[in-house]
Amino acid sequence: MSKKVTPWLDNLLQEIEGIEIRRKDSRRVRIDIAADSLPTLLELLRGRAGYVHLSAITCVDWIDESQFELVYQLWSYESQSLVSAHIRIARDPGVYVSVFDLYQPAAFFERDIHEMFGVYFEGSPDMSKFILTEWNGPPPMRKEFDAEAWVNETFERKEYQPDWLKEITEQGGGIVKSPEEARQKKP
Amino acid sequence: MKEIDIPIEASVDRNRTNPLARVFDELVRFCRSRSMFMLHYCTGCGAIELPPAMTSRFDMERLGIQPMVTPRQADILLITGYVSIKTLKRVILTYEQMGSPKYVIGICSCTVNGGMYWQSYATAKQLDQYLPVDLYIAGCMPRPEAVLEGMRKLMDRIRSGEADGWKDYYRRYDWYLGNQQHLFGDDWQTPADVIGEASHYDLAGPGTEGEHTRLLQQCQKPLEPQQTFFQIGGSLEVKGESHE
Repeated sequence: MSKKVTPWLDNLLQEIEGIEIRRKDSRRVRIDIAADSLPTLLELLRGRAGYVHLSAITCVDWIDESQFELVYQLWSYESQSLVSAHIRIARDPGVYVSVFDLYQPAAFFERDIHEMFGVYFEGSPDMSKFILTEWNGPPPMRKEFDAEAWVNETFERKEYQPDWLKEITEQGGGIVKSPEEARQKKP
Repeated sequence: MKEIDIPIEASVDRNRTNPLARVFDELVRFCRSRSMFMLHYCTGCGAIELPPAMTSRFDMERLGIQPMVTPRQADILLITGYVSIKTLKRVILTYEQMGSPKYVIGICSCTVNGGMYWQSYATAKQLDQYLPVDLYIAGCMPRPEAVLEGMRKLMDRIRSGEADGWKDYYRRYDWYLGNQQHLFGDDWQTPADVIGEASHYDLAGPGTEGEHTRLLQQCQKPLEPQQTFFQIGGSLEVKGESHE
């Protein structure tokens, strides 16, 4: 089965304009496509090629190029192969269409991406808070969000060399390597 | 919901006339230290080390320590690992439900200072800012031997009367509440009336009430029974009430 489907799929995909197909493996295909054509591609893959399982939608923040990359991972049980469809959308305003009507699990992935990256999906059934119900700050997975600075601002830290530890250190115990020393990379 | 007014008898003028009171105290403390029920709130990876500590090899039960399923019957609250801000709310709710005297043990480095989540936006860093921690067992993760060592230390501290973190929570409630509000926002509230409990135990001090408890009283909303709907079978709906 798998031997027949794969070349057939390749021929089919060549029909779409502005598409770049890279075959990573006999069972893995990477497709880069314009953002406008993605719903068409997904419809084609789902309806005609048996890619019925949307495993995940992932988001990558390319802050230097001012773009978000969305990766749709599709799996076919018939040909046992994975297609990852990559698109780039503008970082500002960061709006894209939902694929909920094609793949219902997309609702969760889109809600998650909306929470973590602030990408809004038009037509998604629910864009409310998902996991970070206690979070009121900016979307934390965006590259411009500095988690360390936020932590330093919000939390206090315990002293690394309290008095009681100094006594232990004098007796030969305590912290062997200071955290600053431990973080230094070996040449 | 109808408000029920239960008069609480103040224990202010309780003179200790019994000459054997201190002996009884010691006996009570000894018994208390030898029969502890622990509620392990398995927040992180440290929970992995508890099954071997509890089961036949290290056998915590020989020290009189047993796991307990509900917070209201438990004496020890074990926090085994990192506490996310979301979890911390639940931990505080659990802690306030426990009956005094109660002890909190923070296991793993994450409860001490954030551990490997030192720069994570989602986890609370120092557990003892939000709850009175009686004992930390450091390590990433501590072995069962270390857990048992910590438990023995807690037993010693209970026997000598040093483990009084729960009293500290009543005495300095304003400070703890302030830290909690800093994370959860001004409208943070729990069903427990901590100030009332503090005066019941005769532990209300100058640190019990303050600006943060005043803020709590301003923002407090009366608790109402939560409406829940259960769907059984096809279209039959049963309306029920659950009290949170």
